[in-house]
Amino acid sequence: MKIGAPKEIAPGEARVALTPESALQLQKLGHDCFIEAGAGKAAGFDDAAYRDAGVSIIDGGAKALWDAVDTVIKVREPYEEEAHYLHKGQTLISFFWPAQNEAMLETCKGQGASVIAMDMVPRISRAQKMDALSSMANIAGYRAVIEAGNNFGRFFTGQVTAAGKVPPAKVLVIGAGVAGLAAIGTATSLGAVVRAFDVRPEVSEQIESMGAEFLFLDFDESQDGSETGGYAAPSSPEFREKQLECFRAQAPDIDIVITTALIPGRPAPKLWLEDMVEAMKPGSVIIDLAAEKGGNCDLTKPDERVVSDNGVVVVGYTDFPSRMATQASLLYATNIRHMVADLTPEKDGVVVHNMEDDVIRGATVTHQGEITYPPPPPKVKAIAAAQPKPKEKEPTPEEKKAAELASFKAQTKQQVSLIAVAAALLLAVGLVAPASFMQHFIVFVLSVFIGFQVIWKVAHSLHTPLMSVTNAISSIVILGALIQIGSSSLLITVLAAAGIFMASINIFGGFLVTRRMLAMFQKS
Amino acid sequence: MVYGFTIATYVVAAVLFILSLGGLSGQESAKRAVWYGAVGMAIAVIGTLIGPGQGLWPASLVLIALGAAVGYQLANRVKMTQMPELVAIMHSLVGLAAVIVGFNADIMINTIADIYTANDLVFGAVGADGYTAIGLPQQINDGLSSFGQLIAKKSSVEITILRVELVLGIWIGAVTFTGSIIAYGKLAGRVNTAAQKLPGGHLLNAAAAIGSLVLVFAYLGGAGSWTLILLTLLALFIGYHLIMGIGGADMPVVVSMLNSYSGWAAAAIGFSLGNDLLIVVGALVGSSGAILSYIMCKAMNRSFISVILGGFGGPSGPAAEIEGEQIAIDANGVAAALNDADSVVIVPGYGMAVAQAQNAVNELTRKLRAAGKEVRFGIHPVAGRLPGHMNVLLAEAKVPYDIVLEMDEINDDLSSTDVVIVIGSNDIVNPAAQDDPNSPIAGMPVLEVWNAKQVFVCKRGQGTGYSGIENPLFFKENTRMFYGDAKSSIESLLPQID
Repeated sequence: MKIGAPKEIAPGEARVALTPESALQLQKLGHDCFIEAGAGKAAGFDDAAYRDAGVSIIDGGAKALWDAVDTVIKVREPYEEEAHYLHKGQTLISFFWPAQNEAMLETCKGQGASVIAMDMVPRISRAQKMDALSSMANIAGYRAVIEAGNNFGRFFTGQVTAAGKVPPAKVLVIGAGVAGLAAIGTATSLGAVVRAFDVRPEVSEQIESMGAEFLFLDFDESQDGSETGGYAAPSSPEFREKQLECFRAQAPDIDIVITTALIPGRPAPKLWLEDMVEAMKPGSVIIDLAAEKGGNCDLTKPDERVVSDNGVVVVGYTDFPSRMATQASLLYATNIRHMVADLTPEKDGVVVHNMEDDVIRGATVTHQGEITYPPPPPKVKAIAAAQPKPKEKEPTPEEKKAAELASFKAQTKQQVSLIAVAAALLLAVGLVAPASFMQHFIVFVLSVFIGFQVIWKVAHSLHTPLMSVTNAISSIVILGALIQIGSSSLLITVLAAAGIFMASINIFGGFLVTRRMLAMFQKS
Repeated sequence: MVYGFTIATYVVAAVLFILSLGGLSGQESAKRAVWYGAVGMAIAVIGTLIGPGQGLWPASLVLIALGAAVGYQLANRVKMTQMPELVAIMHSLVGLAAVIVGFNADIMINTIADIYTANDLVFGAVGADGYTAIGLPQQINDGLSSFGQLIAKKSSVEITILRVELVLGIWIGAVTFTGSIIAYGKLAGRVNTAAQKLPGGHLLNAAAAIGSLVLVFAYLGGAGSWTLILLTLLALFIGYHLIMGIGGADMPVVVSMLNSYSGWAAAAIGFSLGNDLLIVVGALVGSSGAILSYIMCKAMNRSFISVILGGFGGPSGPAAEIEGEQIAIDANGVAAALNDADSVVIVPGYGMAVAQAQNAVNELTRKLRAAGKEVRFGIHPVAGRLPGHMNVLLAEAKVPYDIVLEMDEINDDLSSTDVVIVIGSNDIVNPAAQDDPNSPIAGMPVLEVWNAKQVFVCKRGQGTGYSGIENPLFFKENTRMFYGDAKSSIESLLPQID
């Protein structure tokens, strides 16, 4: 199978769908690779590098390449003119956005080509390696922080220097998808104080794992992300109000806002309103990663950097991945390569367009002259449904008091009954036993009592020394043997002598070994 | 009192013993505390030697010196991994000593009774007040040893109580004696560690216990000393059979239980000798052992009775099926993960002790800490074969004790930990205890290592732990099995950590 990548014709697009590295891998799958001359230049791969990797360079322009290959791999969705290059039986793999590009879908169908949309790869574990949205979002998130740093006049990290104290930058990330999490990670590693918000409470753990603080919104109706394949869904007006209130409170304190909130198939929700921008300090930066879909911020203008009246910079670039073209191309080409690998299960260069496969079926939007979008829901759910957390009712003060009282009463009851039983037993013993016994018995009971009080305080780590020391002192039975050894009876003397000997082994052995153990405990 | 001074030394010794146990609440004060105990013991022995124990005192001193020499050798030769065995075997000595002292008391009672008969007097007869014993004529009394005098002036009620006490002392001492020897054998690997019972099982124990009770009444009824000997034999059997029936995993409970018994035996002997210091110390040791047993049982979520009766109760339903497979990893993989990690928690178990891996573990800890990583240890209360076993081993390897934490201290932190290394422990990290209500260990508190980002289990092979329960942890997605001997496995990691 011949696979080729044309030069991207979208203005400003620097990425390329084939890198020398991915070409090598594709060849291992039995495919021949082609590239339009100069296609990788903007991403930092010149023709010589491709040639070294065994890629054939097509000089005659885009049309020549489209004609020469069976499968075209691209980054951006095809332009009208490109779509017309498609011929029957050809396959196109690229971003496509079928929901927004219905006309293009028709055109491609008309040309009889199969189109695999990289943005339609279902979000299941098996397909992660070809999830180009995630890999691009990752880059966007990283780049957003770098872009913010570029526009922000201060350090990210807090420092105390001889020239004065620098407070750390405070960053708010709205939307903790892949891009948001990447932004959180980058900002925290630069030393900023990062807070993050997401409508899906289950991502709080991910946010906290990246080192940011999750802005918790106290609201009953929470979304279960698993229902929507891990994406956010639109929220109710009440929820939105609560959310905006939370952001409004944050605005004066925050230096950098990075918004990444998108809802699949809808314009981006407006989350950072004009009054919040006004409340921010001059010199603050807003990076709107949702600019392409209209932006999360009121002031966002797609592809532009605007400065508000109060000196807040609002960046609405839509080409963050393209601004890191080398990295983006490497990752995207790898995603494409994995997709092709799934299409050639036998690794023999023969493409099998298996419409039974969840991933391939999901990503295919036109096939054999038919539009196959939207796909049926995948058989495997993207992520496990969140376990509904059993909600514990916050007890009212009265209930608390009542519970405390009840437990106090129960404790008292238990203690009193214990004491009563013990006292009754003691008295019963006292009725029959002579006074001489009772004197010793008092000593015994008190000693048990002291023992219980003292031993509970012993540290867990010292339980072994405790055993060896109690072992040593329980050899106090030596006193009995010592008293008996002077007896007139030979038998008693011999037995007592044996007792003394054994007990003294125990005394010395026990104390010495305890001392040895304790000497080993050292502080760091 | 003639021996007022001796009593005074006993008071001092008792206070020192209490301080000694109380001092074990912290590592630093413990170093002082052990000296309190030793000094207390010395004072008590000296006080006895110049008081009621002055008969044949040179012989006593020689015997003590001999015992000291043996004890010194023992204490210095023993390896820290053998600590459980040492403690167990020393308990047996206390038990035996208690039996001996008890028998001596019985012999002395008979001797005194003979003297009474020879003088045509009634042993234990009371005087006009109906309470004080008449006792022997002055010149005969003076001829007796101090212990003899003590018995000679007892009334008949007191004699009966004395007999009850010494029977108790002998019985508990004998159980402790054989029990400790079996525990020693199991811990040292000389006796099969699996729970074993003779045919008849607990019925045999029950029969022996009832037999003992019958013999006690026979003895108190004046049947003679043969009952006492028979009783001792029965007690020896109970000790043997009871501990044989308890599996190796329950040894922490067994050892602390025997510790407790040796204390109660000493207390019982103290009663029969009328010696308050023995009573005090016996009570202290007895309650200490009882508390330790309680803590150990609690840590295993088992009742004391079920431990004593041995073996696990049958599961209430089929254990949950475990899906997935155990994925092995080599030293390179573990080392790479460790190099990437910021926080590491090590969970040692009996396997570390068996492989003598504590020094390698310390070396690993040192290297990881030098690389700026946070390394901590999570110790389950029943890890090892003795309460606090792991702490002692780690201390021996010079792991600083302030990074060695208890289960409750570290459980909450495990979810934010990058790498957990489980070295030779199994049941104490078994998630089935929480997830599977049918598991035999359901409800036992465990270290929640599976919450960490990555878990490496250092283990000899694929077998189950002491309890024979499958461990779903080994099948989890974030778990990798690092097979091999713990010591050589950890050592193979060392050169790769930087």
